[in-house]
Amino acid sequence: MLLGTPPVRADDAIPEITLQNGRFEPAQLVVPANTAFKVRVTNADKAAIEWESFELHRERVVQPGETITVYIPALAPGTYKFFDDFHHDTVSGAIVAQ
Amino acid sequence: MRMRRLPKALLAVGAVIVAAQLVRFAPTNPPVEGDLTAPAEITGILRRACYDCHSHETAWPWYSQVAPLSWLIHHDVNQGRQRLNFSQWSDYASDPGTASEKLRQISRRVAGGDMAPLYYRILHRSTRLTAAQRDALVAWAEQEAANQELSH
Repeated sequence: MLLGTPPVRADDAIPEITLQNGRFEPAQLVVPANTAFKVRVTNADKAAIEWESFELHRERVVQPGETITVYIPALAPGTYKFFDDFHHDTVSGAIVAQ
Repeated sequence: MRMRRLPKALLAVGAVIVAAQLVRFAPTNPPVEGDLTAPAEITGILRRACYDCHSHETAWPWYSQVAPLSWLIHHDVNQGRQRLNFSQWSDYASDPGTASEKLRQISRRVAGGDMAPLYYRILHRSTRLTAAQRDALVAWAEQEAANQELSH
């Protein structure tokens, strides 16, 4: 009822972001603008993280060793920051749509 | 001596309050882009207790234009909208994991009595939830979160 089905997206070449040693790698992920996509987020650290982006309206808890898939709608060209809301000393990153 | 200082102190406080009015924030209610859909009982509770800070349908009180209270209110609304915005629910719903996380947080915060914040409940009696309303909200959020998790 709340929920629609996520739009169909191409499954090839799903970009990945990994958190390791308190840093996101890559810190800046470049994606095509105006195209919906998925991104895989892996937590390679030893504590749970909360991968969050106010600008993308995304918020996901990722347990240690876990990989999640986040659906992102088509983005207008621009920079969209993300961060770990459980550890504010973690270096933030960004998705850049261009 | 003390009596002579008092008017000066009051004047100084008054001057600061007047000067504070120069720092103003416009009360904004951007367009609603994709409001939450839920049973009427639930939307009724959410609208009464949560929407002032967690939606684009904020009922800005007159004192939201009077500094320094206005600074606190605008800060709280901005923070509230960033964290959870029912007017942008369709954005969350396009990623079932995010929608599920938001629903679990609603459940935890309401069950724990953290929302609405105490000072807000004191100022706005209508935002105080009965035990039955809290239970209904928690049960709904948990069920919807489970539905979301099944969908992805």
